[in-house]
Amino acid sequence: MSGPLIRTEGLVKRFGPFTALNGIDLEVHAGEIHALLGDNGAGKSTLIKTLSGIHPPTEGQIYVEGRPVNFRSPRDASDAGIGTVYQDLAINPLLSVTRNFFMGRELRTGPGPFGMLKMDEMDRITHEEMVKIGINVSDPGQLIGTMSGGQRQTLAIARAIHFGAKVLILDEPTSALGQKQQMEVLKTMMRVKKRGGIAIIFITHNEIHSQLVADRFTFLALGEVIGRGTKAELEGEDIRHLMAGGHEIRDLELELAAV
Amino acid sequence: MTQVMTNMPKRTEADRLDRGGRLDRLKRRPEIGVFLVMAIVIAAIAVASEGNAFNALGLKNNLSIISQFGIIAVGACLLMIAGEFDLSIGSMIGFAGMSMAMMLKWGLPFGLGPATPFTAFALTLCMTLFLGWLIGTIVVRSKLSSFIVSLAFLFFLRGLTEVSFRVINKSTQISGLPDYKETSWFADLFGGQAFGWVYDIWFRLGGNANRAGEQWVAGFDMRVVWFILVAGAAYVVLSRTQAGNWIYATGDSQASARANGVPVDKVRISLFMLTAFCATLFAACQVFETNTADAAKGNLKELEAIAIAVVGGTLMTGGFGSVIGVVFGAVTFGLVANAVFFIPAIDGSFYRVFVGAVLLIAVFLNESMRKRITGGL
Repeated sequence: MSGPLIRTEGLVKRFGPFTALNGIDLEVHAGEIHALLGDNGAGKSTLIKTLSGIHPPTEGQIYVEGRPVNFRSPRDASDAGIGTVYQDLAINPLLSVTRNFFMGRELRTGPGPFGMLKMDEMDRITHEEMVKIGINVSDPGQLIGTMSGGQRQTLAIARAIHFGAKVLILDEPTSALGQKQQMEVLKTMMRVKKRGGIAIIFITHNEIHSQLVADRFTFLALGEVIGRGTKAELEGEDIRHLMAGGHEIRDLELELAAV
Repeated sequence: MTQVMTNMPKRTEADRLDRGGRLDRLKRRPEIGVFLVMAIVIAAIAVASEGNAFNALGLKNNLSIISQFGIIAVGACLLMIAGEFDLSIGSMIGFAGMSMAMMLKWGLPFGLGPATPFTAFALTLCMTLFLGWLIGTIVVRSKLSSFIVSLAFLFFLRGLTEVSFRVINKSTQISGLPDYKETSWFADLFGGQAFGWVYDIWFRLGGNANRAGEQWVAGFDMRVVWFILVAGAAYVVLSRTQAGNWIYATGDSQASARANGVPVDKVRISLFMLTAFCATLFAACQVFETNTADAAKGNLKELEAIAIAVVGGTLMTGGFGSVIGVVFGAVTFGLVANAVFFIPAIDGSFYRVFVGAVLLIAVFLNESMRKRITGGL
């Protein structure tokens, strides 16, 4: 297998006196789903914001396909092939499916921002991309507000892939959804994986979801990596243990009993 | 033993959205409410004024005030769709009018000699666009609410206008400027008349005649043309261009738009410059038509512009709105504001009663519409 698609080396991020990330090494390979797990405040969000160009790292280096990169804006990151699907999805509920799909990257004829939108072509591409990922949108002109949460996730994922994402960062894609819609999103992730060539970083709280789809795991606690491994290497018990930030569930049981 | 349900639903997610027939889709358009109000107002005023509101002179006067409202409301609407307010529109009108009239009367600043209508307008536009840029930049950089920043400029500009008048002109009014629209084609663009052929045909068809049997009204005010141009351009930009998508995206969710690479700061600053441009256009039409200026011009116009935008279906929270709705809103407000001239029996202050009532109803309707189209989010 060739080298990792994206790699970080000793990534440190400080906000004033607060150290959010304290030397993160991470390797993500193409065609894999890489679960990034950890409790609230473990640094997951800061890590992905650094990877997606929102925060510049204080120290350390990010490599994309072996080349060192310095992102100054989210645009830089997406140009380098890192597509981030945020928890809030970066979707506008009052805009149509097509207008969301092409938001900021509209197809137009004519100069500058005052060029005319190629609405028909954008509708067609949106429809095709959505079908490819498993949702048949009957009317690309419908407002996002009329779509289910799972469909919105899928739209955001399809959009990132269409615009050339090689690394797909999914920030808690299942957390705000109902059971059935969670499954829909997991299925979407597997479909994307099957296409090959794309690496998925899957941030989640949910160990069951991560075990269902992930090939490789990294656990964060207090801004550091406290465990990593492939699915084969880690047992369910390890995952649960590491999820809790290294605290023993048994300790918790004792503490609870003592209350 | 319980029976296991195995018949999975055959409906797909896409089936849940009922697109409805043509009538249903028409009912869902944001402009429908204001369209009905407009139709009622037109009918009521036509009846109550015994048709006088829509005779040759009535139509000209009504369209004139409708266009005044429309020019600034279109600017306010686009800015509101992008999620911001501009309370400085009214003071900007006063400032721009003062600036143009003072240059025409006292000459260009820095001893650059006497002003022509073109130089007075161009220099004023530079200043107002700069002020719009400044307001926008302060809002974008400070992350303060545009409500408070533009409120500051409401006071600042009105005060500056009055001070400038008193210091240079010794009076807060200028009147008796030469009738520039007779001598300058440029002044005629703002203060002159247009669509004279409509009235010519009207006269030939037997209407539009005064008591002596001569042609009564020669044409519409030029601001009608400006209103059509501004509204038409805004409609095309908003619904058909990339910039339009950026404006909607910026107002709907700024964070989402930014994450997708929409230049939200530039969009907002440009729109503050647009409202300043609309205010300047408003002032130019006024100055070159009447050859006067007054420090109180444009007072409260910013609130009327916002009210018209809201009544036209623009959401206070941004992300949704329609230029067509704003045009209907401007027609409605213009007719009601002018109604007192055609229906002497009513008190002119009923205009404000009407504005208040319609505004409140519109806000409720807009909110329920927003909930409906976003699925209650």
